[in-house]
Amino acid sequence: MTEVKLERIGKSYGAVKAVQEFDLTIEDGEFLVLLGPSGCGKSTTLRMIAGLESITTGDLMISGQRMNDVDPKDRGVAMVFQNYALYPHKTVFDNMAMALKLQKVPVAEIRERVGRTAEMLGLTEYLDRKPAALSGGQRQRVAIGRAIVRTPKVFLFDEPLSNLDAKLRVKMRMELQELHDSLGVTSIYVTHDQIEAMTLADRIVIMNGGVVAQVGTPREVYDSPADEFVAGFIGSPSMNFIDLRRDASGLWVSVDGGLSFPSLPFASGDRNEIRLGIRPEHVEVAPLSDAEPKSGDFTATVRLAELLGADALLSLDIGGCRLTARVGGTGHPRTGDVLRVALPAALLHAFDTGNGRALERAST
Amino acid sequence: MKRLPRFGLYILVVISVMISFLPIVWLILTSLKTTAGIYAWPPQYLPQPFTLANYTKIVTESPELLLYVLNSFIVGVGCTALTLSIGGLAGYALSRLRMPRATVLMVFILAVSMFPPVSLLPSLFQNFLNLGLLNTYLGLIIAHTGLFLPFTVWMLASYFATLPPEIEEAARMDGMGLMRIFLSIVIPLSWPGFVATGLIVFIFSWNEFPLALVLMTQNAMRTAPVGISLYPGEYAFPWETISTATVIAIVPILVITAIFQKQIVGGLTAGAGK
Repeated sequence: MTEVKLERIGKSYGAVKAVQEFDLTIEDGEFLVLLGPSGCGKSTTLRMIAGLESITTGDLMISGQRMNDVDPKDRGVAMVFQNYALYPHKTVFDNMAMALKLQKVPVAEIRERVGRTAEMLGLTEYLDRKPAALSGGQRQRVAIGRAIVRTPKVFLFDEPLSNLDAKLRVKMRMELQELHDSLGVTSIYVTHDQIEAMTLADRIVIMNGGVVAQVGTPREVYDSPADEFVAGFIGSPSMNFIDLRRDASGLWVSVDGGLSFPSLPFASGDRNEIRLGIRPEHVEVAPLSDAEPKSGDFTATVRLAELLGADALLSLDIGGCRLTARVGGTGHPRTGDVLRVALPAALLHAFDTGNGRALERAST
Repeated sequence: MKRLPRFGLYILVVISVMISFLPIVWLILTSLKTTAGIYAWPPQYLPQPFTLANYTKIVTESPELLLYVLNSFIVGVGCTALTLSIGGLAGYALSRLRMPRATVLMVFILAVSMFPPVSLLPSLFQNFLNLGLLNTYLGLIIAHTGLFLPFTVWMLASYFATLPPEIEEAARMDGMGLMRIFLSIVIPLSWPGFVATGLIVFIFSWNEFPLALVLMTQNAMRTAPVGISLYPGEYAFPWETISTATVIAIVPILVITAIFQKQIVGGLTAGAGK
């Protein structure tokens, strides 16, 4: 049972707070992803767990043991770095065997364990090569193998795929997933790539400016983002935001014009301004000629249509208000077309214009 | 037309090589001339007659030259080894250990090296006299090390700064201590930097004059530049002897430079291409 517990953990450099204190428990065997833009504190958090960065406040517990002042090698963690960080002057075998050698594991056992790991990762024929003679994908596999050989209690990944090209990244992502399924070791994975986060994670921790914005399953962070940052960060293309103001008659109208809603399904309290959000894939479009318009539909002009392949992105203009919509790629509307647009109330999000927090849905 | 700029570049290279090599070529030519040839007017460009007599003469009549060269070699090797050991550790600490005020220390080290060596001589001489370090290899090695250490610390610290820190972090996670990381990871990875710096220090030490002159007063302990410069007699400058001895004294340096040439170029330009 390896449970990693961060208790009020935080990091400051002098007066600058790199990571604001937060609590988090990573369950045994869980795959946790720390996601956020660069400089959000996700790598710092991972490095604090690894022991490469000192912990300013709070406690790090691994399997119930306080690890703050324990040497990295004694924490039972293994780390995979973004730029592989292999020893360039040592062979693949020596790279993978280093930690075991330092632990004074008997030579025969080292050979056996490295051999087994190399086989699992398809590296057997490269064991005598130096890293320079390997491709990027193979190097990253060696780096992963070096971590596996140690049979750590926790795997730490620091953007392990971002040095690989797009195709290889997808392949390695799947391999990582299979590896986690077969080894079942608690893993903490840092990335700025939301697709990696969504596909790999049991739970995602989204960080912004050193603060944890939301912790949740991929489904949760996509369906019910806790604030405007999360809403905009998860999803591609990102969510449309529309500023609304309540006019004298109680009607919500968009600041840029074009949109108006008699009522919205949110507990907006006494606010007179909110920010509405809707994902491009949730914007429904239909040709004007289709059936009878329903109340609440809007008329939009397509300003730009971009075909992505399976999908197309439409940049819509609704009386001055701009929205992006994602529609099917076959027979998609063209630039200049006039369409009917619906924004399904159930798929709308609303945020406080001041602090960006998501507004609760009104209980009806 | 496209080849033209390159052609101009070649001319520039040839000119600069000629300018920097001319004194050495002249030195070698002089060592192959007779005394009459050296003082001939108009000056001889090519030795006429061509003679190796100076070389045979110096080997047979002034065997102390070989001793001078040997002294220079011992001091040079000792100084290089000591400088790289201390400078490597200091440079690593300054570039990697997140020491407070590391930059201030680096500037301070540079400032110290700005004192002209001659200004150190009186106190150095007195102290070495008291410590019994005059006319010892160890004495001059220590003096040269002190002189070239700032340069070494700067060279190596900036070389270490170009290494990706993740490799050392991975080594820490693997369970290596700081000293082990330095010895088995950092040194192998910075080998070109060590070779380039070491070679420059060796050449500096080989050519250093004022300290070697003052701290090595016995003839048997003199280094090559000092020994050769003391050849002139009271009434004459034996140019043929001086030039021949100098040629012999630069041979070891040329040989070493040729051996390590690849590493020097790699070391001096490392990090520039990233």
